[in-house]
Amino acid sequence: MSGKRSEKISQEYAESIINTVREPLIVLAQDLRVVTASRSFYEVFKVNPKETVGQLIYDLGNKQWDIPKLRELLEDILQKKTTFDDYEVEHVFATIGRRVMLLNARRIPSPPEKPKVILLAIEDITKRKSMEESYTSLAAIVNTSVDGIIGKTLQGDIVSWNKGAEKIYGYTEKEMHGKNISLLAPPGYEEEIINQLEKLQAGELIKNHETKRIRKDGVVIDISLTLSAIKDNSGNIYGVSAIMHDITAQKKAKQVLVVSEYSESIINTVREPLIVLDQDLRVVTASRSFYEVFKVKPEETVGQLIYDLGNKQWNIPKLRELLETILPQKATFDNYVVEHDFSTIGRRIMLLNARQIERGMGKERIILLAIEDITERKEIEDGLEKTRKELEVIKKSEDEAREYAESIINTIREPLIALDQDLRVVSVSRSFYEVFKVKPEETVGQLIYDLGNKQWDIPKLRELLETILPQQTTFDNYEVEHDFATIGQRIMLLNARQIQRVLGKERIILLAIEDITERREIENGLEKAHEELKELATELKRAARVKSEFLANMSHELRTPLNSINGFSEVLYDETFGPLNEKQRQYVNNVLTSGKHLLLLINQILDMAKVEAGKMKLALSSLPMKSLLNEIPMLVADMVSKKKLEMLLEIADDLPNIEGDELKVKEIIYNLLSNAVKFTPEGGKIGMRAKRADSEIEIVVWDTGVGIAPENMGKIFEGFFRVDTPYSRVTEGTGLGLPLSKKLVELHGGKFSVESEGLNKGTEVRFTLPIISGKVV
Amino acid sequence: MRKKALVVDDNANNLMLEKDLLEVAGFEVFVAENGASAIAIARKEKPDIIIMDVRLPDMRGSVAASILRQDKETSAIPIIFVTASVMAEGKEEIKAITNSGFIGKPINTRTFAKEISQFIK
Repeated sequence: MSGKRSEKISQEYAESIINTVREPLIVLAQDLRVVTASRSFYEVFKVNPKETVGQLIYDLGNKQWDIPKLRELLEDILQKKTTFDDYEVEHVFATIGRRVMLLNARRIPSPPEKPKVILLAIEDITKRKSMEESYTSLAAIVNTSVDGIIGKTLQGDIVSWNKGAEKIYGYTEKEMHGKNISLLAPPGYEEEIINQLEKLQAGELIKNHETKRIRKDGVVIDISLTLSAIKDNSGNIYGVSAIMHDITAQKKAKQVLVVSEYSESIINTVREPLIVLDQDLRVVTASRSFYEVFKVKPEETVGQLIYDLGNKQWNIPKLRELLETILPQKATFDNYVVEHDFSTIGRRIMLLNARQIERGMGKERIILLAIEDITERKEIEDGLEKTRKELEVIKKSEDEAREYAESIINTIREPLIALDQDLRVVSVSRSFYEVFKVKPEETVGQLIYDLGNKQWDIPKLRELLETILPQQTTFDNYEVEHDFATIGQRIMLLNARQIQRVLGKERIILLAIEDITERREIENGLEKAHEELKELATELKRAARVKSEFLANMSHELRTPLNSINGFSEVLYDETFGPLNEKQRQYVNNVLTSGKHLLLLINQILDMAKVEAGKMKLALSSLPMKSLLNEIPMLVADMVSKKKLEMLLEIADDLPNIEGDELKVKEIIYNLLSNAVKFTPEGGKIGMRAKRADSEIEIVVWDTGVGIAPENMGKIFEGFFRVDTPYSRVTEGTGLGLPLSKKLVELHGGKFSVESEGLNKGTEVRFTLPIISGKVV
Repeated sequence: MRKKALVVDDNANNLMLEKDLLEVAGFEVFVAENGASAIAIARKEKPDIIIMDVRLPDMRGSVAASILRQDKETSAIPIIFVTASVMAEGKEEIKAITNSGFIGKPINTRTFAKEISQFIK
């Protein structure tokens, strides 16, 4: 009884409070069930009392109140604090949508016998919140805007002036507050300002009006101006807000755009279809040839999405990839080949080139897409007209031709082959045919790999042409070793240039092929040869040693019996052991003469061999040349008188001593004098002159004898060359005297020469000997 | 009293020629064809002079000579080397032997005996 009553009392009490409050208010029991709610609660949350009272608060209105934050408040915070204020909860309510609610709660301390209740006041602050935010952001916009925002009266008196305006005009707010807006009018624009104010009063809106204003520093600037009237609650205009921005730079950019119109006119003169797209891939403009080639009209093209053009015939996956994937990353793509079945023109191969360019000051971008139909060209290139087309292309421009020629020249190392971008042979140098033994008719138009029974299908060449060249456009000195069907295993040196011929479209590849097999073999053989040479040198040294040893032995072996022959003959001839008859004596003398000649021959051969092997050693001493040159002629005096020759000696008085090998020097002079005697007819003259010449002495042995025919001049030093004359017997000389003398002179560091004006014109042998020997012994 | 000469040469022709020339000049001539027999004959006969080839079949002439020099009986006998090689090396070899001289090959048959006689004191 008493419980029921007290319950009723508390409910009435609660309701009385609640209904006096304007805000939505809800009273909860300890178990968080609704005891009662204010009228405004039902209004605001569009619920009725029946479905509210007695319900768990979380279950209200399809559980729209089951908000984690509310649970936290009621079950956690309120248990500890008895009160909380201004708790903001943002939540999407089923009935009223996203709202920001401000919650205030009290645990009401009631008399002990009365059950405790929770009073929850809910205020919808969504509108207030957004108002506050918009005010805040508006203030921020006004303050931070680069646009100038000015507030003024209808008379043009300035009441507000933001930072943007300060930046544009150079005046601060302090300077401008209360001033008239006409201060900003450059000469000739005062009228405009008055007119604008009048128009606004008449209810007109002035939007993006381009005009001129003058800055504090006197510079006239271009601005874009938007004016709007400020009205009071009753709609009366009481002021004007002006928003403006400096468009001086944009104006300039516009001039650039005018220039770009010029480039558009170029677009129209370009042979290839060209299309300009905006960043949404809609057509801005297209060249005349585009309309012609794709049989579309401007009115069904401009403004259209490129993929939609001509019955969506441009909706090509590869094009989408280009425009949507590649271009945003690269800004440009070149020579993209697209093969597609177009509804208007059938299956075609298109070559796409694109440039993405930024236009003007803003971020606006346009895409230039050049489309070239290369279907025919490809077909033609495959055909016999290739050569003619080649010429046409070359003629297209002088620059191009020069570039083409230069490329050829730069690349050429015959043989040379020109390929198109499909790696088919366009043309080939003559040497190519010669080297690879192929004919023009089985070469031009063929895929390079197919040439000559596919002998060019070399993995390395494929790599070069298909991988390296597209990336590098050039490669130098690439070595390829391959077994060619026609010419066998060869090492080829490849040089290539990729050149563009028509405005960045068609490309050709110049491939220079040089057979370096031999060169490589030579290079490889060089080291081997070098090694062999070293071995050979060692072998030669050994051979020379063996040779000189052999000669030394031989001379001993030959001379020993010869010494016996000569010795016994001499003893016999001297009749030491008894008399010989005349014939015997004559024979023994012949044996002796021949024996002595043979001995001389053996000795001279040995000396020659020694000199040539570098084994001849000089025993140097100081030689009194003046007396020596006077003594040696005595050795030939007998022969001179026998032949009734006249001998003339002209030995200079100041002839110095020289450093030399006495035996060798005597041998030289004796050889030359005896030659002079031998080769001079009876009654002739021989002679010797000697004088000092700087650091040398010069000796000339001359005669009026048989001389030397010009044709024999080269042979006299060869050895064993002897001039047969009526005046000399074959047995008298060895033919080694002159060459050996020459070698001995040279061994001393002197020079040796023979002069003769011709046959029977006499001979002059001239030689020098250094005073101080250059030889270190 | 006839002077004794020992001629040492492995070449029979040389040996004969030199022997004949010396005998004609009045020498009593002994011959040897190698170093060992030369040493033996020298010790036995004690010649006034020895004419020795530089190259002998069993030893070099200079070796035979130095052996003779170590023996009191033969140490003073003049030794004349007959050599074809006038090389410095050969000369040094000969110079090391005291009381020695040399004659070049081929010998001059007309002056040979006179040249030898000059070496005998």
